[in-house]
Amino acid sequence: MGIDSRYDRRTFLKLAGATAAVAACGGATPAASAAPASSAAAATAAPVTGTISVYSALNESTNNEFFGAFRKAYPGVTVNVLPLAAAGELQTRIRTEKASPKADIFIGGSSEFHDPLGKEGLLEAYIAPNAKDIDAKFKEATGLWTGWYTGIFGFISNNDRLSKELGGKKPASWDDLLDASWKGKLILPSPLLTGGGYIFMATQIFRFNKDEAKAMDYMKKLHANIAQYVPTSPGALALIDQGQFVGCPNWVHDILTEKTKGNPVDVNVPADTGFEVGAVSIVKGTKSLAAAQALVNWSITKDAGDLNVKLSNRGSTRTDVAPAAGAPKLTDVKLVNYDRQWATDNKDRLLKLWQSTVGL
Amino acid sequence: MPSPSALQSLDAGAVHLRLAHVTKRFGDTAAVDDISFDVPRGSFATLLGPSGCGKTTTLRMIAGFYDPDAGDIVLGGRRINELPAHRRGTAMVFQDYALFPHMTVRGNVSYGLRLAKVAKDELARRVNETLDFVGLGKLGDRWPNQLSGGQQQRVAVARALVLRPEILLLDEPLSNLDAKLRVQLRWELRTLQQQLKMTFVYVTHDQDEALSLSDWIAVMNAGKVEQHGAPWEIYYRPKTAFLADFVGAVNLVPGTVREVRGGQATVQFGERSVTVPVPADTSLREGGEVKLCVRPEALGLAPRGATTDGAALPGTVARKAFLGDLMRYWVTIDGREWIVDQPDPGASTPLDGEVLVQVRPERVHVIAG
Amino acid sequence: MRSLQREPGLLLALLAVIVLVCVFILYPQIRVIITPGTGYIDFLSGGTWIRSTSQSIQVMVLSTTTAVLLGFVFAYAMVYTDMPWKPFFRLIGILPLLSPPFVVAASYLILFGPRGLITYGIFGQTISVFGLGGIWGVQTIAFFPFAYQLIADVLSRSDARLEQAARNLGAGPWQVFRSVTLPLSRPGLGAAILTTAIYVLEDFGNPALIGGTFTVLPTQAYGLISGFGDLPGATAVSTLLLALALILYVAKIRLDGGRSFITVSGRASSMPRPPVPVVLTWACFVACLLLAVVILTVYGTLLVSALTLNFPNNLSFTTKHFEYITSDVNGTALQNTLIFGVVAAAFSAVFALVAGWLVERGSWPGRRVLDFLLIMPAAIPGLFFGIGYATAFNEAWLDWLDRGVLIIISMIFWNIPVGYQAAVAGLRQIDRTMDEAATSLGASSLRGFRDVLIPMLGGSISVGFVTTFVRAVTTLSVVIFLFTSGTTVATIRIFQLVNDLNWGRATAFTVADIGMAILALGGIALLSRGRIALGAARA
Repeated sequence: MGIDSRYDRRTFLKLAGATAAVAACGGATPAASAAPASSAAAATAAPVTGTISVYSALNESTNNEFFGAFRKAYPGVTVNVLPLAAAGELQTRIRTEKASPKADIFIGGSSEFHDPLGKEGLLEAYIAPNAKDIDAKFKEATGLWTGWYTGIFGFISNNDRLSKELGGKKPASWDDLLDASWKGKLILPSPLLTGGGYIFMATQIFRFNKDEAKAMDYMKKLHANIAQYVPTSPGALALIDQGQFVGCPNWVHDILTEKTKGNPVDVNVPADTGFEVGAVSIVKGTKSLAAAQALVNWSITKDAGDLNVKLSNRGSTRTDVAPAAGAPKLTDVKLVNYDRQWATDNKDRLLKLWQSTVGL
Repeated sequence: MPSPSALQSLDAGAVHLRLAHVTKRFGDTAAVDDISFDVPRGSFATLLGPSGCGKTTTLRMIAGFYDPDAGDIVLGGRRINELPAHRRGTAMVFQDYALFPHMTVRGNVSYGLRLAKVAKDELARRVNETLDFVGLGKLGDRWPNQLSGGQQQRVAVARALVLRPEILLLDEPLSNLDAKLRVQLRWELRTLQQQLKMTFVYVTHDQDEALSLSDWIAVMNAGKVEQHGAPWEIYYRPKTAFLADFVGAVNLVPGTVREVRGGQATVQFGERSVTVPVPADTSLREGGEVKLCVRPEALGLAPRGATTDGAALPGTVARKAFLGDLMRYWVTIDGREWIVDQPDPGASTPLDGEVLVQVRPERVHVIAG
Repeated sequence: MRSLQREPGLLLALLAVIVLVCVFILYPQIRVIITPGTGYIDFLSGGTWIRSTSQSIQVMVLSTTTAVLLGFVFAYAMVYTDMPWKPFFRLIGILPLLSPPFVVAASYLILFGPRGLITYGIFGQTISVFGLGGIWGVQTIAFFPFAYQLIADVLSRSDARLEQAARNLGAGPWQVFRSVTLPLSRPGLGAAILTTAIYVLEDFGNPALIGGTFTVLPTQAYGLISGFGDLPGATAVSTLLLALALILYVAKIRLDGGRSFITVSGRASSMPRPPVPVVLTWACFVACLLLAVVILTVYGTLLVSALTLNFPNNLSFTTKHFEYITSDVNGTALQNTLIFGVVAAAFSAVFALVAGWLVERGSWPGRRVLDFLLIMPAAIPGLFFGIGYATAFNEAWLDWLDRGVLIIISMIFWNIPVGYQAAVAGLRQIDRTMDEAATSLGASSLRGFRDVLIPMLGGSISVGFVTTFVRAVTTLSVVIFLFTSGTTVATIRIFQLVNDLNWGRATAFTVADIGMAILALGGIALLSRGRIALGAARA
């Protein structure tokens, strides 16, 4: 990554001095700025140039290669990535920075995190040329955000404990998790703290055709079997890797990654499951609109889709991108009729309903 | 602004420190209540009083640690109310010494000079001189916790003296020492002050200390100055019964003025009466209640039947105590006990039984009210 | 106060402190507090806060009690006894402060979870650390160092003469402790209780990972942001936390109002402390050793994870995790962490001391308000301190401001409370005649403070420096809204690696972060010739 703005000893002293000056007068002297020295060779006649700051909620392992490939495709664009695998925090950052936006691009994270920003007028609408290849349900109509990857919700289980304690029986449907044999062996990413947890809960509502009472009854019964609501989705995977618990609803692509690392876990997809649409959007106020638009447009190319599948095991919103080995295709699994807009609009209400149902 | 009365008639030569109508309140109580006095230049001045009388508060106002709520403090002809404490030139010696534990003796003593940016050579010379002066010449490199109480006190004094302050303030500096050391250091302080001809303002609750050290004493009680003046004046001519009692053993006999004429008053006490001089600033009226004040050593004692000059009151010895340099008698006269001191008890056989107490009228002091 | 008018330097210092506190503590928080607007009504009537508030208070009361108790025992052992291995225990006394988010809590889970290496692996028990019991235990160990540092500083300044006097009056060792040592350490104890309670209240990481279904206010607030993007609701929770802190603060003021805790009078003494009975010394040693074993096991697990391929499923030795963390952006992150931490700690310690002196020794009106404002940051979850800064200082006209500087400033003021409390507690033990002695010798208040009080307050400065440094190099939440790609820090990288489930790299990074912090503290201790010690206790 092109971050060469290290703090050497001289900058350190300047920094200390600047801190003293700012601390002393409450802010009136210009501080030493550790501006990156641009080393981009601008000799080539690249059509798009500029510097963009990207707020990326993508996995750490995806960031480097993914943006590396983009740089190769657009050598005139300097990309500064601010990696933070927590879409909620990035969303909050964009909100708190609205007086003077620091991001040009917000990439990664379910569209639920992009959509409210668009409604608040913090995003720049852009209908990318390549968006013509993307199904309408994967993109915002006015181009405030564009979906470029998909994630399917599945189930991770610890091989050893599953065979010993549950006879190796993986849940074929979400209802199977209500069986008393799962009591204390199940964990769930917290619906309050994680996008995945919320999608799981919303999935149950859609499973019962938006009959919230039935869905809450399910969540309440499930609650009796849940040992722990984990604050992050990956955190829940680690607990299954370690065998602390037996199973957990989680993202298929992340489970696959864990399995590939050699952890004693397996993945399956219960019927009527939910999915996410990973989005990319342009932050309003960008000073490099052309470069930002180039990134959005590039993200929905087949090349980018293939690369992302390879790096993260996720699916693509493009039909011409094949899923990762061992990963189900969106069209092959039995999906619930997931009304994304409704789920986004009713999020506050539903989570409060859930809280009062299970008493958390 | 200084009130005119504070500066008027201030003779900078004679008066070094003047307090005029100074008041300090803590909440609702007045710790110091409208006090005024002048301290003569070059004198050993003492604020004497029981604990809680306001003497330390007064000293701390002079030092600048407290701001007076009213009144003026004038030092060397200059009103110092608004002067920050550290610019007043009023070095102070504390009851607990307040030596800086992280500095050596030399470090403590040189601290003020270093603040004043005194040149290195002169600094060293003055520090050595002062340490020698207080007898600590060899202990300069010690740390405070390696010193005895008396030595710490000397360091505290040296630390203040080395600055040649305008005035030296001492807050009960000897009260933490044992009796013998206390008496010794008392004389050292007095000698020091006389050699330096510096003005000392000394706070104590010990009247022996006050009488023996001071050129000038102000006795305070309940936030007020009851009287100030030379020690013998305080001792022999107290203005109030409290004062008379506070500064030493005294016979206080209530009486009634029968006649005032030509600077003399005839006072009746019990069945008897005595004609005594009226103190200069006291006005007596006939029929007024007064107290006769006689120090025990101003009375004489003789066997019954001896011839005496002046008034002789017949009484009976109730008990007596041998105090070394004198014999103290408690003599009952008309049902009231009088204290009588006889000097040089070794020169005669102690008296007993029926005796005569001799009263010289010129040694009797009258306190009005 | 009239002395302020007479000493322009003093007035200037006071004004500077007030302005800085207003700009860097009060103003950002006001921006946070006004965020919800009418959202407060929705939030309060929603009622989801009732359960998490009562659970927060429950955790706070339990954990504070045990953490302060543990801190007191540790401090007493370090200051009073001559038990062996003190330098080792000094390190143990700050190690739990060096806990980057998630990783240390995760280590507890690996050891004490339902299939924990110790609980299940050794004892065959499936007792789980999840829930109240687990949080209580983990918070006790995580926060006892605050109590230890503050109490040790106060104990080490207590006057042996008072204890000898009590012995002389016929008191046994226990009675001396109860009737003299304990009461005189009250300023430290009060500060320790307040600080620990507020930090427990504010902590997010441990309850989130170990709480299970047990929600506390910070986890709720974090959830509202992370899961809902509900900034108004989350800030309402933050305001609730501040209100609780205010209540604690008022309670503390009433508790030690107006008493004297002076142990350092002007009279010097070379008297040694009465000896602690041998039995007690060894009891202290054993207690400290047990604590050390638990702490070392938890941190040792991190080291093992960092050196194995895929802990605990693949234990082959490898150094590749450490190779990774020194490569490009990661090396920068470590470097930034060190620089930010040292600069922030130095400024924070000095500022805390000056502010503590102005508040404790001054008599100007409104100092109680300043006092509270200086303790308040402890009650602000780092997340909201960061949000406050991001909101308040992310203005177009402030774009010249280097983000590194802003991060440092946020660390300075977020970590003020401990150093400030230590300074106030220290000053309360030093008789005012020490200040007056300097003044009467011609030193202005500021000069006397510099020449006389600061040298006597070495321990308090050290407390401020060490805690700020340690928290600065381990905080994630304050930085998460402020960092940029050039000003990223170790904790951000650790957070990334944890979320990437790269446990080996995450632990390697954690070990490097902690190791670097310890080396830095050791180096600073050497440079300052022991004036800033690893931990506060000067035995």
